[in-house]
Amino acid sequence: MRIEVLFPEICNLFGDLANIRYLKLCLPDAEIIETSLKSRPKFLDTPMDLVYMGSTTERGLELVVEALSPVKDELVQRIDEGQLFLVTGNTMDVFGKTMESDHGLSLTGLGLFDTDAKYYMLKRHNSMFLGKFEDIEIVGFKSLFGMTHGAPQGEGLFLTVRGVGRNENEKEEGFRRNYFFATYLIGPLLVMNPPFTRYLLRRMGAPETLAFSETIEEAYRRRLAEFHSDSFDPIYH
Amino acid sequence: MGKLRFLAALWLAKLSIPALKITRHQGTDFPGVLALKLCPDLLRYMGRPKTIIAVTGTNGKTTVSNVLADILAADGHNVMGNRAGANIISGISTAYIRACNPFGKIKKYDIAILEVDERSSPRVYPYVKPDYVVITNLFQDSIMRNAHPGYIAELLSRYVPEGAKMVLNADELISGSVCPKNPRVYFGIGPMETDVTDCVNLLNDMRICPKCNGTLKYEYRRYHHVGKFVCADCGFHSPDPDYYAEQLDFAHGTMQVRENGTDYTYPLITDSIFNAYNLITVVSILRQLGMPHEKIARYMKQTSIPASRHYEEQVGDYYLIQQMSKENNSMAGSRAFDYISNRPGDKELLFMMNSLSDTGAWSENTAWLFDTDFEFLRRDNIKRIIFTGPRINDYALRALMAGISPDRIVCVEDENDAPEAFSFIPGTDIYLLYGTDSLTQAARVYDKIKTLALSHSGKTEG
Repeated sequence: MRIEVLFPEICNLFGDLANIRYLKLCLPDAEIIETSLKSRPKFLDTPMDLVYMGSTTERGLELVVEALSPVKDELVQRIDEGQLFLVTGNTMDVFGKTMESDHGLSLTGLGLFDTDAKYYMLKRHNSMFLGKFEDIEIVGFKSLFGMTHGAPQGEGLFLTVRGVGRNENEKEEGFRRNYFFATYLIGPLLVMNPPFTRYLLRRMGAPETLAFSETIEEAYRRRLAEFHSDSFDPIYH
Repeated sequence: MGKLRFLAALWLAKLSIPALKITRHQGTDFPGVLALKLCPDLLRYMGRPKTIIAVTGTNGKTTVSNVLADILAADGHNVMGNRAGANIISGISTAYIRACNPFGKIKKYDIAILEVDERSSPRVYPYVKPDYVVITNLFQDSIMRNAHPGYIAELLSRYVPEGAKMVLNADELISGSVCPKNPRVYFGIGPMETDVTDCVNLLNDMRICPKCNGTLKYEYRRYHHVGKFVCADCGFHSPDPDYYAEQLDFAHGTMQVRENGTDYTYPLITDSIFNAYNLITVVSILRQLGMPHEKIARYMKQTSIPASRHYEEQVGDYYLIQQMSKENNSMAGSRAFDYISNRPGDKELLFMMNSLSDTGAWSENTAWLFDTDFEFLRRDNIKRIIFTGPRINDYALRALMAGISPDRIVCVEDENDAPEAFSFIPGTDIYLLYGTDSLTQAARVYDKIKTLALSHSGKTEG
């Protein structure tokens, strides 16, 4: 198994890299390849079992765009060929058309998805998410300065049950194109969602054995019950 | 009209102070909350003492503010501040309301020490114009509120007034880069035996050169991104400190502080490196105010680090330690874990640094746990870790991922039952880790631990 982590020197916020640490515990023999900003991503030349990229800063978004723009066409080709990707947090916006903030950020993204992100730097959105991926229930956290708007229906990764999707008005959450998966959910997504992690392992062609399965399943079960309860409000006020 | 509204708000707020005193609520920010409701730009019309020092940063701002205020008061200054209240706009406004006369003039005080929550900068600095802005450090804090340290640095650079002199940490260059056009001095701590070069922490928020995005090489690294670095690509490097602490001798409680090539001996009234940073920060500000080294050292010897963060006592046969470790703050957790695991002796830990108040309508965002160095708790001297609250499985999972043996992990749903999970083996120290969210519950649980400790020692309270 070969897992490539893109730009861990900047795409490392909010516990996102725990996803990779957890996969390594599930797959002790897996090779984790960390690709820095100044290196050519390996998946462009050799298929990887998974390519992962985590949350970053606003400056980080700029650097990721700079790093991926020159290889955009190859990236699209790999996606079309079925390369498995998982992108978490705000780096999802790099794959849209634009990113703008009320503090002067103005970036042109890779344009894989027809969508524009707008950030309000004094108004942070925090929410919990309950949604579906095929028949799998997904739980997660969002913590963002803004969201993306304008994407056509049918490209979502998850379907929102409680919480917000790509924005407050959309039920679809994240983006999916072939096996390119991107979501605004931050942090230990795979640690929190054992059924989705098993799906991902299956897709990678790996055994579906989860590390600390008893504890992870119990944590998932409890959180799921909590997020389903009537008294639970997914939006942080 | 604005001034009239200000006076009305001020007088009503001032009238609320004796009312609060009678009802024993004098520690609250109610006067500020009330005045800001009536006059949102209240601070615009306030007078000011001769000197204003704003202390901000992720960790250490309370300690720095309090030690600084104590020393200045001991030196005969009339110090106003928000020590009794919050470090957000309502707390700062309350401090001004208490300090000013009925017309908003501040005559009784010559200096203000204001602890300012860094996220409150947009509401504070348009009106409060500090002479000095001290930034202790900028690290990951609450993901939900503070996002990431680069964001907070940008916020401070945007809102701190142009003329303010910055007192900055040379060893922590996210804060050290704030307000690049402002005048500045730096403090730092020289190489120590415990330093490393490669990062051993999960959090490492300065991995690339802020100038050219090149690779940073650390000459020495204290923890996380704190240390002295040079960029291998462009040569950009950490600034040279104006106030440079070295030869930190925790055993004998001394350190040397170098300024302009001359060394001065100081007491080191702490056994932790993070408090040593707080002390050198205090020295730097006082030197900026012109206080001689010898005098600062003398006052420092008479002061102490506020006990609310760390308290220890012998109870019967057991040594009990309360250690604050802010919830939702992976840096605070990592520093506390490192500190505890490095202290001598066997120990058992009870975690109450989880967001217990999130239970009910909300749920704890546990992402921060995965940036917190639970790996320090793998050390052999940590005999038992007790988790409590609704997220016990998440905490246990994080501990397992850190390589902590399952037989050392105990999960107790109700925090009131958790003290009974300690083994009470004489010679094993008992730690209670608590956050700001769980102060009341932690106090109650600590009382129960004490009672059990006495009982296991064959004694009763009295």
